[in-house]
Amino acid sequence: MSAHADATSTDGLLPGSGADLKATTTGIENKKMLMWAFLASDCMFFGTLISTHLIYRKIYPGVGDTEIGRDPTKLFSLELTTFSTFVLLMSSFLMALGVSAMHKGDLKSFRRNVLGVIIFGLIFLGCQTFEFYEFFNIKGLSLQNNIFGSTFFVLTGTHGTHVAIGVFWLVCMWLYSFTGRFTQDHAMDVEVAGLYWHFVDIVWLVIFPAVYLVEFIGKLN
Amino acid sequence: MAHAAHASHDHADHLADENNKFYTFVNLALFMAVVTGLELVAVYLPFHLALIWTIIVFLSVIKFAGVCTWFMHLIYDKALLTVLFLSGIIIAIPTSIALLYLFENSDVDAKKIKHGVAAHAPAAETHQSHP
Repeated sequence: MSAHADATSTDGLLPGSGADLKATTTGIENKKMLMWAFLASDCMFFGTLISTHLIYRKIYPGVGDTEIGRDPTKLFSLELTTFSTFVLLMSSFLMALGVSAMHKGDLKSFRRNVLGVIIFGLIFLGCQTFEFYEFFNIKGLSLQNNIFGSTFFVLTGTHGTHVAIGVFWLVCMWLYSFTGRFTQDHAMDVEVAGLYWHFVDIVWLVIFPAVYLVEFIGKLN
Repeated sequence: MAHAAHASHDHADHLADENNKFYTFVNLALFMAVVTGLELVAVYLPFHLALIWTIIVFLSVIKFAGVCTWFMHLIYDKALLTVLFLSGIIIAIPTSIALLYLFENSDVDAKKIKHGVAAHAPAAETHQSHP
């Protein structure tokens, strides 16, 4: 634990990142606490979606109206999904740098890093849109025609929605940073947005092996 | 005067902390890029399925923990936040594992699925006939 997280100054303020944060009984900013509580609840939400997908894959193996329902390896592009995973990981890295820049009061660096996160987020969404288009229009997988399709689209679609919300949030923050009203006092707001973005990343780190990689195990060698 | 000097010292410490984090983040990002590559390679390895499963789960847990610990600042923040986040994970993971074990292949009648009949239809009918 860092010293700055534990110490409270004599005037009842937490010495934060340039901007002093209001002290609370827990010593943690309310915004941050609320975001962590939300993320904990979102873990359970994604837990149910991932479980549902895995359970239906287990109890309905090979059930489907189409060929792809019998073998999802013919559906997935492992290269594309690995690329998406890499892009999301790197966006998380840039987000961490953006938060750090804001704590240092380096607005230019913040803008540069957050712009990178936005671009990577859009690339991820582009890959997912391409994947959905291909599955639906070319390979005939839909929400209705296949249990696999139902659980897959709901799970990855919900994650994609989270990514889209994150991108929108960061775009708003990035644009606001040009108004002149965005200062180091907003470091906590950036940190909270960063937490959300990192969470979106770690959810994908679970979806990638649980939904995609698992289908290829034992089939490629 | 002393207060101003103390504040300046705090600020310098804070900047040094943030600068140190930069190298941690770069190393972590590189490490996770390599781990993602290893996950992909693991799928192609001609090993026993259980071993490949173990490798992939292990690598995913490492990446998950890496992002939570450093990128999400859990290591730099109060332990209460770790407890708060873990509470969600601790509920989610065992529930998911329990559900995976509860639902078995044998619960499903494949013949009836082919004819468009729900797998648990007989149970439902029995239930209706004995209200």
